[in-house]
Amino acid sequence: MRIAKITAATVTTAALAVGLAACGSGEAPSSSPSAAASSAGGPKYAGKTLTFWRLGDSNPDAKAYTDELVAEFEKQTGAKVKVEWIPWPQVNDKFTAAAAGGAGPDVTEIGNDQVPLWQSQEALEPITDIVAGGDQAQIPKNLMGLETIDGETYAVPWGGGSRAVLYRADWFKELKIEVPKTWDELVAAAKKIQKAKGSDVDGFAFNGGSDANHLLGALAWTAGGEYAVKEGDKWVGKLTEPGFKEGFAQYTGLVTDGLSSKARLNQNTTEIRTRFSNNKVGMYLTASWDLATIEEESKGKIKGDKIAFFPLPSKAGGEAQSFLGGNDIAVWGTSEQKEAAKDFVKLASGKQWGVKYATDGGLLPVYPDALAALADDPAQAPFAAAFAKAKAFPADPQWTEANETKAVLQNAARQVIEGKATADEALAAANKELEDILNAS
Amino acid sequence: MTDTSTLSRGGGHSSTPGRRRAPRRARASGLPAWSIPYVLLIPGLLVIGALLLWPLIQMVIISFQKVGLVQISGKKPATWLGLENYTNVLDNDIFWSSLRNTVVFAAVAVPLTLVLGTAVGVLLHRLGKKMSLFVIIGIMFAWAVPPVAQGVIWRWLFDAEAGVINWALNLLPDWLSSALFGRADWTGQPWLNDAWSIYMVLIICVVWASFPFIAVSVLAGLKGIPAELYEAARVDGSGPWRTFRKITFPLLKPVFAVLTVLSIIWDFKVFAQLYVLAGTSNREAYNLSMYAVTEAFKAPPKMGSGAAIAVVLTVILLIVTAAYIRQMFKQEEV
Repeated sequence: MRIAKITAATVTTAALAVGLAACGSGEAPSSSPSAAASSAGGPKYAGKTLTFWRLGDSNPDAKAYTDELVAEFEKQTGAKVKVEWIPWPQVNDKFTAAAAGGAGPDVTEIGNDQVPLWQSQEALEPITDIVAGGDQAQIPKNLMGLETIDGETYAVPWGGGSRAVLYRADWFKELKIEVPKTWDELVAAAKKIQKAKGSDVDGFAFNGGSDANHLLGALAWTAGGEYAVKEGDKWVGKLTEPGFKEGFAQYTGLVTDGLSSKARLNQNTTEIRTRFSNNKVGMYLTASWDLATIEEESKGKIKGDKIAFFPLPSKAGGEAQSFLGGNDIAVWGTSEQKEAAKDFVKLASGKQWGVKYATDGGLLPVYPDALAALADDPAQAPFAAAFAKAKAFPADPQWTEANETKAVLQNAARQVIEGKATADEALAAANKELEDILNAS
Repeated sequence: MTDTSTLSRGGGHSSTPGRRRAPRRARASGLPAWSIPYVLLIPGLLVIGALLLWPLIQMVIISFQKVGLVQISGKKPATWLGLENYTNVLDNDIFWSSLRNTVVFAAVAVPLTLVLGTAVGVLLHRLGKKMSLFVIIGIMFAWAVPPVAQGVIWRWLFDAEAGVINWALNLLPDWLSSALFGRADWTGQPWLNDAWSIYMVLIICVVWASFPFIAVSVLAGLKGIPAELYEAARVDGSGPWRTFRKITFPLLKPVFAVLTVLSIIWDFKVFAQLYVLAGTSNREAYNLSMYAVTEAFKAPPKMGSGAAIAVVLTVILLIVTAAYIRQMFKQEEV
């Protein structure tokens, strides 16, 4: 008995020691960017170093542009710029850590629909003076709906990113598939691809991950639906209306009709792109910045005329409505070098570098004359066409909570796909939850 | 967190015999005799207080406040909300599914771990010296794998397309597979999609990683049972099962009690393995730890509600542990 007790005590102590060791091994302190050695005198910001967060995966085109921009800024002001690439699915976590006092940027690229959230967290510096004058005054004000809050502007639109369907042009040619003009043709094309290329290939990839609403939104808006509408000072959910339901049915149908595997209900655009690069996807909805990364990921095998875009077709034919995506550039609120950061934003979003950012990165320029010039470009025409019809998600700081964190609609879709609820039940529950989240302060 | 309180309890318990010898030393140091145990407890209490109690108190305070990034960075003071965080959390369906997942998981994983661990412990006791050492080293590898790596290993094994499990199931003869599972083709079976199959994998993963500790602890206990007892039992004609029930189990009861409490505590707050296996995007598969983390740290961070969930989890754990320990002491008195 006594020995058993001693054993028990030893076991406890050992277990506790393990527990404490586990507690002790916390995260390593993040190293702060080392300040560059200063060469005194000379240009305005000589010896200073700015940290600049670029979002997405670094690809050759984007990297070349960023290097040139940074070199130009260094030439003009003497300040060095340290560039860090943040993959899209990590962006909100990185911003959260930075706003909580961790290592943050001085200047950051930011998705336009994220601006209201990070403004509400007081993480962005107002830069109204930048958009008031200079080149930036030419950017149409209707492109700044998400960026302007209570009369102050917190980010400058940098490039518009509407979405279109990226497809394997070589497979289409091989299987004699025409570019789909209606939704039914798209479904037929996807099935034909799966038949020829194997059942583990997604004909048209279902996106149920962090950016699922880019796809669902396009389908729902095209069918005449809305997520939520602000009536007075309250958001009213519109998920249960017929238009949204129709788009939602098309969306879940991608899996229930077998166009995309049930095994990957959580995949986001980044994961779909990787599968596309590995010959596992026939079509998916994305923006043109994926082209360069796909070439890199597939080690140069999938590029050029093997892949192309077409505008997402609506049910009756004609182009679907795309989501008004876009990337902005902003000054981070905790920057210690706000003047230099603002000058950097001014340079980057000016007409020369702003248009170059868009054209080099496969986005649409926010300057009207440059955008008009794109209508003749066959590669960009699908996006320019979609941009003309683009719509934005509810402009509310809580949108990110519904969109990514609580994944309200992804969850509704999962329930329908797995047969746990009918579309009506799932959407009614989602509608209530969306209203609660958007109306929470 | 709570395991340390078991230490203070265990520590206080085992120090009682020392009290008899205390007076002699007390005269030398000039401290009154009764105070010696308490003085000796002070360093431990200070460490526990600074590392555990203080953060715990902070967590409880935050759970009544609105704390987000703006408050953390000191731009605005935290505002007092009363019970609002708690009502919001309790109103949310995700909380109840997380609670269900947490409790069901612990209810399945704890007995499985203990039964498997005990069985292996008894086996180790009967093996020869070399073989026993060999098996101990083997199973301790599983225990030594860090939680995140455990998650990665099992996630890979159960991968829908590249996983070994689906590959192995496909190797089964079709008639056998059909007879056992009603299907022959396992290609692309998504194990990490539905909540129930995620938890099945999680149970396998956690039991796999935690039974070695139970086995080795039981072995240590078995070594302490005098061989004469077993001899006597054999002479009286007792079979192995009866011997285990009448001799091994009662003598090892204190060991089992501690192991059970520890397992309950560990399994209630399992996080890293689930995070790796399921990710944060499937909220039906959340357990309470996971729900607390997404509330507190996913954009926009709501540390107040995250803390409220953590408080609820802590209270549940305290109640379960306290009830169990009480039960244990009651039985010992009888």
